[in-house]
Parts: sequence; structure tokens; C-alpha cells
Amino acid sequence: MTMAVTAGRTGRTAISPRAAVLAYLAVAGVVFLLMMLLGLTMRLAQAQWIDVPPNFFYVVMTMHGAGMVGIAGLSSAAVMWHFVRRHDPVSTAVFLTNLVFFLIGAVLILGAGFIGGFGAAWTFLFPLPAHSGGLWSVNAAASYLIGLIFIGVGFLLLHLDIARGILSKYHGLGAALGVKQAFGLAPAEAGPPPAVTASTMALIANILGIVVGAAVLVISLVNLYVPSFTFNTLAAKNLIYYFGHTFINVTIYMAVIAVYEILPVYSHRKWKTNWAFYLAWVLSTVFVLTVYTHHLLMDFAMPTWTLVAGQVISWLSGLPVLLVTAFGTLTVVYRSGLRWNPAAALVFLGVAGWAIGVIPAIADGTIAVNSVMHNTQWVPGHFHTYLLLGMVAMVLGFMTYLTNPQPRYGFAWLGYWLYLVGGVIFVIAFLLAGAASVPRRYAVHVAQWLPYDRIGSIGAALAIAGVLILVVRFFVGMRTAVLAEDPIG
Amino acid sequence: MIQDVVWSVSIILMGALAVVFMWVATGASVAIANYGPVIDTAYRARVWLFGLALVVLIGANYKTLGELPYINTLPKLPAAAVQPTQVVAEQWLWTITPSTFKVGQTAEFQVTSKDVNHGFALYDPEFRIVAEVQAMPGYTNVLRYTFKEPGTYQVLCLEYCGVAHHAMQTEIKVTE
Repeated sequence: MTMAVTAGRTGRTAISPRAAVLAYLAVAGVVFLLMMLLGLTMRLAQAQWIDVPPNFFYVVMTMHGAGMVGIAGLSSAAVMWHFVRRHDPVSTAVFLTNLVFFLIGAVLILGAGFIGGFGAAWTFLFPLPAHSGGLWSVNAAASYLIGLIFIGVGFLLLHLDIARGILSKYHGLGAALGVKQAFGLAPAEAGPPPAVTASTMALIANILGIVVGAAVLVISLVNLYVPSFTFNTLAAKNLIYYFGHTFINVTIYMAVIAVYEILPVYSHRKWKTNWAFYLAWVLSTVFVLTVYTHHLLMDFAMPTWTLVAGQVISWLSGLPVLLVTAFGTLTVVYRSGLRWNPAAALVFLGVAGWAIGVIPAIADGTIAVNSVMHNTQWVPGHFHTYLLLGMVAMVLGFMTYLTNPQPRYGFAWLGYWLYLVGGVIFVIAFLLAGAASVPRRYAVHVAQWLPYDRIGSIGAALAIAGVLILVVRFFVGMRTAVLAEDPIG
Repeated sequence: MIQDVVWSVSIILMGALAVVFMWVATGASVAIANYGPVIDTAYRARVWLFGLALVVLIGANYKTLGELPYINTLPKLPAAAVQPTQVVAEQWLWTITPSTFKVGQTAEFQVTSKDVNHGFALYDPEFRIVAEVQAMPGYTNVLRYTFKEPGTYQVLCLEYCGVAHHAMQTEIKVTE
């Protein structure tokens, strides 16, 4: 709070923008590792290699989910802010205020879980927070919900400030998104830089999503203390998934800015922003805001057209990812003379993980498939593919890029390969288990499910070892990185 | 089963994409002098890929959207042809009436909840999911399913509902 309070009215702080970004990433590195350890705890418990009581398992599950979603947002926001501030005036004070709000929210959430025993899953599906079965108190549930509100308010401030900076230059979100370029109404060369386009998409989606999320959080909060105040469960579910889907989905779109900015540095090829690029971002904005009903395919009470739309939009939303971002990445790298280093390899892996993860995600977004795979381990299988091996890889690449890796290449490469190999084993075990109808979010597994859990545990342990190495070398390089410039190849 | 098809198709496509990324990554260190024609060829290939993707997208959606599980999209059956079945979920038990069926019998599960969201998942005797629907307070979701083989089916909760979520299970008997 002190950092933000001392920022002053001009938005200037004693902390440099670069140091602020590194502060975000330092928090991200620690939280990623801790949350991964919670994830490993769950897999080991399911594998019956350690003994975890179910009530504690579900607390761990709730903390893992909330922590990972939150830190995915925070770390990818650091990527976005670092690059968008090269083009538009944004406030370091507001950026740091978001970090402070995040930390306050994290303390409230951790307290709710590890002190109050709150374990209603990160999605806090209404009215579960008020139906604890005696395991957590109303105050613990409230602490969790208020923690989420703090984090949401911080992000809202950050996105509003970025909107202010962008609008001061582009005089319209459509112009900043590149709408005219998307439809051939203006030359692509005159379009906004990729970082501005992506930041605009992120702020449009997240501002709407966070406001919706705040509404359902307040509804849940009132219901806790005034049980006679009820709300339609299906409407609440719509609000929660609208917010939850949008927030986590946008993290990838913020993190991918690292790919646009870092890969060209090493491949010496400019990222080509043609009409297809802008069209992809315009469409992605629409898709992210409308696709959430694919979480409700088994809610038969929903109007059928919304579920059909959820399926079709799920399929459509794969096109910009595969045909523009993944394709663009491949063309920037293809026979470019790029000498691989861990930073470039990580952001490249991030796009691969995202693109590859789209396949099982689209499958799950198909109603006929969802009818037999909804809430099986197929779901963590596909989202860990594009988050663990996609978004997180992009952030780790950004962390490595900022803390120039040259002196410790071998060390970082070891981390990279452990993370990649372990991550692949980990997600494949989830997908196999999902195909075998193993439910997600089960504290206790039957004997026939154990092989998937044990393979997954080994994969998770390897991946965590890799991330640990990458995070340690980030901290080692952080001191000099505060004063350094970005690598220029 | 659908799950096996989905797994096979997914892993093939995921593997194919991984191979493309690896191929580009391993060849990246060799620089080509004239990049222009390469990028032109790539963009032409992308147009074809876009066309192919559209064909797959339209075909797959046309095929799969023709058979939806939602009761309002299914043909009406005579009352004698279906067995209305009440399913009530609550933390952490199922009440299913009736819970015995004959092979070939079509059940219409009328699924609701007394407290929080639950997930009704029907597992066949080989312990694979054959049908799912959500159980929600204030709503009755109707799931139609025709039993194809005899044995003991399991009903598991597949929407997280609290500390005994994993223990919220019951059985359905299906006889010849």
C-alpha cells in the first residue's frame, strides 16, 4: 500500500516501471511455485502416495484454483503493461496499486482457506459458499469472496488506466483494436502495434467480466449473511462463468504479447500486422465475450440456442489462435537463423501449448462430447495444456528475457526441458484419465484410476522442478535486471 | 465409445501440431537469404488451411448438432415407451425412483437438487460415463437414456458440491 500511497497525484513513483514489472514477476514466480506444490499435493493424494483428508484436499483445491487464476492474471498483466507502456502513457502508481490489491486479496483468500477451512472451489458456485456442511464459517466464506472482490477491483483499476492511456492516443477503442484495418478500411501499416491491440482486447473483455463478477460476488456475500435473500442458481452460474471464463481466457491474450515482442528480437523478423492479424483480434474479442455458455452445456434448462452457440463459438474461436497467432509464430521463426535461447524457446513453447491445447478444448466444447466428458479430468487436461504449457510458458519466457539468461544458459535449459517433459506427461495423464471417465475434483480415487494419478504426479514433480530452476535463475538475475535495458538480440 | 474416438482424434491432431512446431524449431537456426517468396507461399497455404478448417468446422458442427441431448430437441415418445424417473440430489446423496430397469427400457430422468449444484453422471457397468446432466435447485432437467446392457450402473456426482462430493454415489440395476 505504501508504494501506491506515496505515488502522488502525477502517477510518478519512486519505483521505476521496470522495477514494478519485476516486482509483479517476483510475486508471480513464488505464487506459481506454491500453487504448483498445492496441485502436486492433490495429485499425490489421488495417487494414494500421501494421505490428505478430504476436507483439507478441497481446501487445497480451492486455494490452487483461486491462486492460479489470480496469478495467471497478475503475471500476464505484467507482460501486457511492460509492452503497452512503450506506446501509451500508463500510470506506474495504478500498476502498483493493482499489486497491492492483489496481495490484500490473496491474504484474505489464504486466510479463508487455511485458517477458515473454506473449500467451495474457486468457482464458488452459488449457493455452495453458504452450504458448508459445517466445515467453514460464514465469515470464512465472506473472507474468500471479499478477497476476490479486492483482486477484481485492482484489475479494474489497471484496465481503466490502460484504457485511459490508449484512448489518449487512439481516441477510440475500435481504433486501438484495429477494427478499420481488420475490414480493409484503413492500411494495415497504419494500424496499432500488437501490444496495443492485445491490451485493448484484454481491457474490453476484462472490464465487462469483472463488473459481472463483482455483481455475483456481492449477491453471494449478501446471501451468506441474509439467507432469505436468494438468487436464481442458473442466473448465478451464468454470471460466474461469464466472469471466470473471461478472466482466465484473457490471461493468455495478455501473455501472448510477450511472443509478439520477444520472438522478433531473436529471429530479427518483424511481426507482420496485416488485416488478418487485426481481424483475428476483433473476432477473438467477440468470441471471448460470448463463448462462456460452453461451460453450461449440461444445464439443460438453458435456452437451447445459447448452448448451440456455445459449441459453434468454441469451434470458431480456435481459428484465430491456430491460423493467425500460431501460424504467425511459425513464419517468424521458420529458417530465420534464430539461435535458440531459453527465453525464445519458452515463448515459442507457449504458442505451441496454446495451439495444441485448443484441440481437446474444442472437443470438450462439443455438446455430444461434453455429454460424456463434462467435469472429467479431460477438462484440467485441456486447460493445463494451454495454461501450464501455454500462458505460463509465455510468462516464464518473459521472466527469462528480462533477466538476460546468457551467463547461465545451461542451468536455464535444464529447467526448460524438465518443465516441458514433465508438463507433457502431466497433461497427457489428465487427458487419458478424462477419456477413461475419471471425474475431476475428487479427493478420493478408486484403484483403477491410480495409474493416471501416479503418472500425472511424476509429470507434475518434474515440471515443478523445471519451473523452480527457471524461477531461481530469475531471482538471481533480478538485481541486475532492475537497471538493465531489454535484450536486443 | 465417444471418449475413445475423441481421445484418438485429439492425440493425433495434437501430435501433428507438435510435429509442425518441432520441425520449424529444429530448422530455425538455418537462415534463408530470400524470405519474401517463403512468406508469400506460407500465406497462400494459410488460405487453403482456412478453407480446410471451415469445411471441418461446418461438417463437424452439422453432424454433432443434429443429435442433441436436450429433451425439447428429441422426438416425443408415447407415455408407455418411457419410464419417468425422479432424481433428487442433496448433499451428499442421491434419491432415484425407480432405480431398477430392463435392458432396452428408456428412462427419462427428471433431475433436480434440494440444496446446491450437483452433476448427475451415469456410469455403465464398465465404469464409463454414458450420460450426464446437471442437478440444480429450482430446476428440473430431463435426461433421456435407453439402457443397452444389463448390470450395475453407477451414478456419481460430477459437479463439486462440498466435502463428501466424491462419496455421493448410488447404483441403478438393469436386468435382461
